[in-house]
Formats: sequence, structure tokens, C-alpha cells
Amino acid sequence: MLVLCAVASTAYAEEADWRTSWDGTLYGYANSMVVRDDSVLNPYNQIARLPQRSDVAEIRMNLKAESETVRVTARGIGSTREMRNAFGQRSHTEGYLSLWQVRVRAAEGWNVAAGRDVLNWGAGQFRSPSSPFYFDNGRTDPMRELVGMDVAKVSWTPDMRSSATLVRVVRSGYGAAQPDAWRDSWLAKFDTRGEEIAWGMVAAKAPHLGAFYGAHGQYTMSDELMLYGEFGSSVLPVVLGSPEDAAQPYQIQSPSPRGNATLAGSSYTFESGQSLMLEYLHDGHGYTKAQEVAYFERATTQFGLPLGLMPRLLGRDYFHAVWQANMMSETGYWRLMYTRNLTDSGSEFAAYGETTLHPRLSIYALAVLPQGGARQEAGALFTRSFTLGLKSSI
Amino acid sequence: MLWVMFKERVMRAIASLLIFAVSGAVMAAPDAHSILKDSDQARGGGLPGIVWEIKLQSRDGERNDEPQRILVKAVDDSSIAETQEPVRFKGSKILQVERNMWMTRPGLSKPIPISPRQRMSGQASNGDIAATNYAGDYDAQLGATENVDSDPCYVLDLSAKHKRATYDKIRYWVSVKRVVGIKAEFYSVSGKLLKTARFEYGNTIEHDGKHIPFISRMIIRDALIDAETVMEFGTVKVKKIAASEFDLGQMQ
Repeated sequence: MLVLCAVASTAYAEEADWRTSWDGTLYGYANSMVVRDDSVLNPYNQIARLPQRSDVAEIRMNLKAESETVRVTARGIGSTREMRNAFGQRSHTEGYLSLWQVRVRAAEGWNVAAGRDVLNWGAGQFRSPSSPFYFDNGRTDPMRELVGMDVAKVSWTPDMRSSATLVRVVRSGYGAAQPDAWRDSWLAKFDTRGEEIAWGMVAAKAPHLGAFYGAHGQYTMSDELMLYGEFGSSVLPVVLGSPEDAAQPYQIQSPSPRGNATLAGSSYTFESGQSLMLEYLHDGHGYTKAQEVAYFERATTQFGLPLGLMPRLLGRDYFHAVWQANMMSETGYWRLMYTRNLTDSGSEFAAYGETTLHPRLSIYALAVLPQGGARQEAGALFTRSFTLGLKSSI
Repeated sequence: MLWVMFKERVMRAIASLLIFAVSGAVMAAPDAHSILKDSDQARGGGLPGIVWEIKLQSRDGERNDEPQRILVKAVDDSSIAETQEPVRFKGSKILQVERNMWMTRPGLSKPIPISPRQRMSGQASNGDIAATNYAGDYDAQLGATENVDSDPCYVLDLSAKHKRATYDKIRYWVSVKRVVGIKAEFYSVSGKLLKTARFEYGNTIEHDGKHIPFISRMIIRDALIDAETVMEFGTVKVKKIAASEFDLGQMQ
């Protein structure tokens, strides 16, 4: 960090041409969730105490200052949240930097940076198997942005086609679960891009965890059609094993056995700019059908543990489809999503829509409709959720 | 005998004149590829890097779209366009490296691959806002010359060399005097006219000690419906752009 500051100071002394910019967005949104009373994992919402109604006011600010060799960026978020359920009301206010970075061009093709960085990549929509930190890809809480990891990194970009990066992860960023599995870890990444193919490989190593290996790639077959895939091989800090015999107790495994996750997808873009994406995900860390059945069966007598150590995905095989509007449209955007857990046959529909009321004001809504019972992943906790919000540029 | 010698001398002189005239005509005939390459410079091609700001205003019938302002950095087959206005899209970026394209926005979980079919705005495609490299992307055939607004022009028929080219076919009118493209017709592979464009060169850039006229305005009209996009190019700078500017992992 001291070296970065020294280099930045020298660069600042030599550079007089700084450009600064800022922008921000105010969000106000309300969510209503119908929590499942007959939930096996969270009966009468007594364990998780999920908010059945929440109101959020949030501001997200972007700041940038850059010269020819130095760039400083920051994204700050401040929010206040009122949450209500059958057990009462509570509020929570927070302010944090979801991203920040000081980047210095140290030499031709070399950059050094420090800050909070979302190290996420790959074309996968449903999940990001090739990222060691963001497998979830923000799906669990789509209204909330991903928070970066606190890192120092060196990047080598010899030409337009390839780059290599070495990252020292100091810790997971704001709000990370403790203990922090990624504190004091290393990550190396290599990316290359050809005329129609782009791919990358990544390896990451945390002090007390087996190495993570990942890869991602995409192939642009034509203007309309792109094929893509992601792969990740990982050892998780802790998993809740579920023997197929429900009479056997859960098994807490720390660390987990190594498991692989693979995602294969295709994206077709219509002449109108609308696109259709179809994805298949296999997650080796998930349960088989028998294991998932036993998981729910065991949960009827062991409260807390199955929810607290719930796997990142309960099943092993998923189908995910997205149909969305032209992302370049200025007047609005919509997105329809369908996910099917092929292991337990539960599914989920989700729809997002946004329209511009005024150049600086948009209204948006998100509806999530699980299709599954209390012993299927999709319907395990709630039966429907609806969010309505306004956002205004400042 | 003298008459025969005289006739031979005259014939040789006529043959020499003919050979000279033909070779002169061949030397004067312009090379289509050279014309294209020279005209590319006036639209950002063949330079070590170009940075420019573009204002776009699109119209579809009676409806005027919201104006856009974007900052573009381009070199060779790579470009990155960052939206400055409208303010609700500020910070959105589109990165193109060869045939690969991605979009990022503040708050997105990761860069999203997009298709060239998701056009920038109205009639403009990503290829229209980036540096032009027709000489590298198209095979050129030189046709007759025509006048466009009293400006004699070479008429070039361009065919895409590879899938990376934005359009399958282009008919391109290049001013004979100024060697800049002033009119274009864009066709699909089946020969269907898709849109037309007119170009103006009110800017000037300095490169290699020369002052080069540079594009200041591009008007693109749809061939089938009453829709057009006007692009105003301003704040043009020729500068080397680091490869890291086009690295997805460093776009934060």
C-alpha cells in the first residue's frame, strides 16, 4: 500500500491533467413477502424471522478522479431499512463502500491497484462457478449489490488480447460472514481474447482451504448466437452433509470434500435486440434427490442447523432461462427468468420491469413466484415476493 | 528506301506515344485500397488511438429519443464507449475487442456479453461510433466517379472480408479532392439496402506533422422507415491508448 501511494504521489506530481466526475442514484423501494407458515426449515418464520414487509431508502454514489496514469474510483452506498414481521419491527441503517480503488499505471502494460474489487467474471447468468468468491452472483438478494473483496493486485496487459493478474486478498469486504475464509489468500488469473473466442483461467488459494480452480469461456458463433461455459473446482469451508438415510444425523464437514460446478449456456439475440439465454448448471456440492429428501425430513426435528448451514444450492442440476429486452433501450427494460431444480422438480418464476417516467426518474418492480412445496428448494421459505421501487438520478 | 525508313520512324514514334499514354493512364488510375485507407484516417482508422466525445440524437418518425453523450476510446479493432448522458446511464460502458462485446454498469455483478445486434442508439451501431477501418475490414472495388453535392467522388463497392465487419456490403462515396468519405449506403448480404449515411468533416486533427480533416458529423437514415440518428463528433484527440483500457478485469 505504501509503494502504491509513493508511485501515485510521483505520478500526481508529474500529471496536472486530472478529470473528475461523480453521479448518484436514489432508490426507494418496498418489498412484501408471503412467508410460508408450514415451512419445514422455518416454521411460522420462527427461526429466520424473515421480514414480511420492508421499506428501503438508499443512495448509491460513484466518484472518479483520473489522470493519464492514476485512477481513483469509489462507489459508496448508504441505506436505511425498516423491516416488519409478526414478531415486531426493526430498522437498520448502514453506510459503506461497496467498491473503491486506486490504480496506478506503473509501466507500459503494468498496473498496480489496491481497493475493494468485485472479482467476478464469466458469461453465466444463474451462477458464477468460475469465481471463487461470487458463486451466488447476487441472486440471493437481487436488490442488493455485490460488495467487493479488499485486495491489492498487479495486472499485466501486454496487448489487447491477453492479460494476467495476481491478487492478494486481504479480506472479504464489508459485511462478509465470519470467520472470513478468504482472508490472506492469493488469486492468479489469465485471460485471452481472440476474434470470436474469449476465455480465462483462475486459481485461488486460501490459507486453510484447498485450492480453487476455475475457467470460463465464450464463443461468438454469429451476431445472433453465443455459446458459453464456466467451471469451478472448490473445497468449501463448511458444508452440511445429508446422508440418504434420514435416521442418520446431519454431518458437518469442515472443510468439504472437493466438488465441481459446471455451467453451460447459450444466448440468442433477436433482430429487435431482445435476447434469450438458456443455461444448465451442475453443482457437485449439492444434494442428490435422496439426500435432499432426507435433508427436509431431518429438518422437521432439527431446527436451525439445516437453515443456518444450508448449501449454496440444495440440488445438483438446474435449468435456467432468461428472456430479456434490449439492454440498450433508453425507455425501459424487462427481464423474465425461470429456474428449475432438476433434482427436486421445484421451479421459480421471476419477472423484473423498469420504465422511465422522466429522464431522471424510473419506476421498477420485481416479482418472484416459487413453484414448489415446503420440501422443495424453491418453495421452502416463501410463496411469493413483490418489490416496487423508484429510482432517481442525481 | 528513304520513304521506308521514314515510315518506320513514324511508326516507332506513334508506338512510343501510345505506350506512354497507356502507362500514364495506368499510373493515374487510383487504387481502391489506398483510397479507402486514406479516407479511414478521417474517421479514426490507422491512428495509434483516438479519443472522442459523441453526441447522439435519434428520431423515429415524429418521436425524438433522449439525447445521448458518450466518450469513446478506440484503437484498431477495439473500442470502449462510456455513457455520460443521460445521467441515469452514466458510467455504463460497452467494450468491444474484435468480435467480442461486453456491457458493464455500476452495480452490475459482472460484465455482460452482448451481441452486436444490441445497437447503441437508434440507427447507430457500435461500429459507427468506433474508429473506422474499412481498409482492413472490406475488399474494395472502384467503380465510376459521381458527383455528390457538386463534389466529384470515387464510388467504391465494399464487401466484408470477415464476420467482424459491421456491415456485409457498403457503397462508399469518397471525395476525390479531400479523400474523405462523404456518403455511404449499407447493404445486407442479400443486397437489401439497410440504411444510408452522410458525413461531414469540420474537425481537424494533427498526426505525423500533418493536419488531417476529421469527421464532425454523421447522419444515419433507415432505408425502410422514417428514422435517423445524428452523431456529432467533438473533443477529438489522437493519443496512444493503453491496452489495459480494454481489459475487462480493470474496468471498475
